[in-house]
Amino acid sequence: MTHPDPDREAVDRMFSLAYEELRRLAGAVRRGEAGVTLSPTALVNEAWLKLAASPPAEFHSPLHFKRVAARAMRQVLIEAARRRTAEKRGGPEAALVTFDDALDLAPASGGDLLELDSALEALARLSPRQAALVEYRFFGGFDIPECAAILEVSEATLTRDWRSARAWLAVELERSRNAS
Amino acid sequence: MTPERWDRIQDLFHHAADLPVADREAFLQRECGDDPSLVPEVAALLAADARDSTPVDRPVAAVAQELLGPSPLDLSAHRFGPYRVAGILGEGGMGVVYLGVRDDLDTKVAIKILRDAWLSPARRERFASEQRLLAQLSHPAIAALHDAGTLADGTPWFVMEYVEGAPLTDYCRTHQSPLGDRLRLFRSVCDAVAHAHRHAIVHRDLKPSNVLVTTDRRVKLLDFGIAKQLEAFDDAAAVTRTGLRMMTPAYAAPEQFRGAGIGLYTDIYSLGVLLYELLAGRLPFDLTDKNAAEAAALVAAGDAPKPSVVAWLRALPGDRLASRSAWADLDVLCQKAMHPDPDRRYSSVDALIRDIDHFLDGEPLEARPDALAYRLTKFASRNLRAVTIGAVGLAAAIVLVAFYTVRLAAARDRAVAEAARAERIQGFTMRLFEGGDEAAGPADSLRVVTLLDRGLRDARSLEADPAAQSELYLTLGSIQQKLGNLERADTLLTAAVAKRRALLGSEHPDVAAALVELGSLQSARADFPAAAATAREAIAIAEKSLPPTHPTRAKALAVLGQVFELRGTYDSAITTLDQAVALYGNDSTSAEFVITLGELANTHFYAGHYAVADSLFDRILVMSKLLYGDRHPNVGDDLINLGAVQFEQGNFTGAERYYREGLSILQGFYGDVNPETASAQTMLSRALVNLERYDEAAELLKKTLGVYEKVYGPVHPRVASAVNEVGRIALRRNRYDEARAAFQRMTAIYREVYHDKHYQIGVALSNLSGVYQAQKQFPEAIRLMREVLRRYAEVLEPDHQLVGIANIRLGRNLLGAGQHAEAEKASLLGYQILIKQASPPKSWLDNARTDLAADYQALGRPNDAKRFEAELAAKAP
Repeated sequence: MTHPDPDREAVDRMFSLAYEELRRLAGAVRRGEAGVTLSPTALVNEAWLKLAASPPAEFHSPLHFKRVAARAMRQVLIEAARRRTAEKRGGPEAALVTFDDALDLAPASGGDLLELDSALEALARLSPRQAALVEYRFFGGFDIPECAAILEVSEATLTRDWRSARAWLAVELERSRNAS
Repeated sequence: MTPERWDRIQDLFHHAADLPVADREAFLQRECGDDPSLVPEVAALLAADARDSTPVDRPVAAVAQELLGPSPLDLSAHRFGPYRVAGILGEGGMGVVYLGVRDDLDTKVAIKILRDAWLSPARRERFASEQRLLAQLSHPAIAALHDAGTLADGTPWFVMEYVEGAPLTDYCRTHQSPLGDRLRLFRSVCDAVAHAHRHAIVHRDLKPSNVLVTTDRRVKLLDFGIAKQLEAFDDAAAVTRTGLRMMTPAYAAPEQFRGAGIGLYTDIYSLGVLLYELLAGRLPFDLTDKNAAEAAALVAAGDAPKPSVVAWLRALPGDRLASRSAWADLDVLCQKAMHPDPDRRYSSVDALIRDIDHFLDGEPLEARPDALAYRLTKFASRNLRAVTIGAVGLAAAIVLVAFYTVRLAAARDRAVAEAARAERIQGFTMRLFEGGDEAAGPADSLRVVTLLDRGLRDARSLEADPAAQSELYLTLGSIQQKLGNLERADTLLTAAVAKRRALLGSEHPDVAAALVELGSLQSARADFPAAAATAREAIAIAEKSLPPTHPTRAKALAVLGQVFELRGTYDSAITTLDQAVALYGNDSTSAEFVITLGELANTHFYAGHYAVADSLFDRILVMSKLLYGDRHPNVGDDLINLGAVQFEQGNFTGAERYYREGLSILQGFYGDVNPETASAQTMLSRALVNLERYDEAAELLKKTLGVYEKVYGPVHPRVASAVNEVGRIALRRNRYDEARAAFQRMTAIYREVYHDKHYQIGVALSNLSGVYQAQKQFPEAIRLMREVLRRYAEVLEPDHQLVGIANIRLGRNLLGAGQHAEAEKASLLGYQILIKQASPPKSWLDNARTDLAADYQALGRPNDAKRFEAELAAKAP
């Protein structure tokens, strides 16, 4: 099967929505709000409900939507990570300092995500389906049955795919961290 | 690495992972004999697989929190134009809103900045778009844009009006706002949306949290964040490109769910939902726990329960927003605004506003399903007199207004305003209005209200040409008067007078002409002192500035005469109307002259001068035939009037002849199923009753009742009035069960129509008591009459004629029951009330006299008895 690459325009359009949802979620976590849904699946479902209310017509189905949503979330987070990394290095945008900036810049965040992104690019060259799976599961927050529906393969296959992809990414990320 | 190598590595990895850890090394060495470099790679994977946590095991929410989670920016050091930041008002997906203060003026503003502007050009564009749209709008109910700019790092911001208030629905709930307040607040929202629509801006996110009500009860529309300007060459109705931000499903139109074209009609839908929520107290559809497809299907089906039903179920009985009949209109308003098919919604927010105004003014809705009965019902209940002007007038009014609208457009474009032309046109239009168009039915008659509204808007735009404007106000005012919209007519005519005064000075004959119209209206509104003053002023101006033969002088006198007539001061009325008639002199075939002569004839008729009235009506009949032709309804009316003169003189055979002749003309003109025809038939039936031809009369009344039911629906005052006639005939024929049933139906209709609070209910019950009286069931009749008096006391002045009659009825029943002391009190009170009336109803006074004489005899007061016997013998009035 071929790698189901969501069309570019749809992702662009989803981008802002994904940002807002992630932003909302992040704010809720930060404020420690009760009853906040932390399940990414629920988040995306909610986004789908709202997005479907003003749907770009090209989302033919919830499955198609989920593909696009996951891609958009990935892009938002990668953009944010790039930005954050630049701020850390004291780029020109650092003029505005946030209230708790220093505390919040845990070493885990920006850089790791950028590395994961490039590792995923590499994985896509080896196995597009596995890269897509990681995108859906990690960025989109979908579980295996949902990914199986999106990718139209059996859950057993995806469970195997996930296990090896997960291990491979861990190895790759460690390798690039040691290299830098 | 190649995909093939990766496949092989994965194979090895999965096989090895299934083995006990101790056996894996041996397995790999054995399998990778051809390529030992595979072994460390698979081993590394196995090691990673054993780890509890890898980078992809963290939930995305945690990642998002790390990357996007920081608190809002601390901008306390920044200045936005003259404003400094004083706090945070809120955070949204797009940005953060800060409270700004301007120290020199102590004013508060809201400063909106786009957070993470760098993220995408699309976000920057959307933020800029909101700013651009707001800059175009200037409306008291839309939060205004004050300033905009960019921070050093490129973060865009804008400053807007700071609004402190409660969301519309919360406001109405906490204030328990009555229906009128809710509708007026909602109307303000509509006004703001209409303003945006005039700039081709669709808001697309109308919901209570975007509509705030301030403490001084003003409405502010907020958040044009996903608003969209329709492109100049868009099909104004259809825009498919949808914003990035989600709108709120609860207020979204079906086309928004579908992703189909978005247009002005999308806002109209959301307004409908908002109105629904205001009325029903909850949303039309419950979308909680619905997935997108289910929600879309629910909204597209569009069968939300009627707001009336929801509200009725939710409210406590004492806590209802509106009466049942008002709810019927409110349901229609909501359903029309929220129709799933955009084409069947209100065509514009202005149309929605007009219907709200119609509702508030008690006029028919444009949105009403086009049942003629509904419109006539609504119309007639508001002003019976207007209906008697008739379908012809209304039908003609459409032609007139259509014509007139065209004229307005021309006037605007070319600023044509010569007085002669205006007068010619006015004359033409008014003739059209009065003459009638035989071909046109009454079907669309009430559209005229709409057309007039449009005409008014056009007239308002003529500020630069006050002469033409006052002319148009005058015309519109006269038409509104004929339609029975007396309040509106008053506004228009008052404005016309004021404009002419300002333009021409107080002594100008045109001012007198306008005053004549205003006076005639004031008299129609029964504001007799004002009408008399206005007419006298018109007469004074006309006497100074116009030759005696000028029609304005006669018209002014005619208005004054009519005021006297309506007040019941017939002598003054006759003197004044005689003067007016004399002034017409040679010009004695004009329509105005015939109208004035008609007033004079009516006055003589009411004054009981039947011979004079008879000869005047005869003269009018001849002139009407000359003016309008033999078969014109005016001729029919004249014949009916002649019949009425005969009737009052007790010449029922003569009355029948005139009535039948008049009826045949009206029937030919209006058709059988028409209230005008039916009304003449009712007159005829009364003559037949007096000729004791009950079967014929009953037959005729059955027909008229059928007409009224068909035209007005089964529950309507006109139907009640026809049922009353049926009851009276039955009573005359001693058919008590039939009479009782009729009066009970009459009571029920009035109860429903007037919500149990109207003197007509008393009249109906009073007639019902007549049945028991005739059957000598005095206790029941007495009980009913006491209820009648209780009802009258709530709504009528204590010296009202009806109160007098009711007391006399009560007295007669008490007399029948042998309770002479109480009977005397009631009859005497009734007598005293009636004797003070301007034209006391003689038959009732005589009843009182008869009963009082009997009471006093029974009470042993023969002298008092003699007094009333003497009055009877002297045929006292």
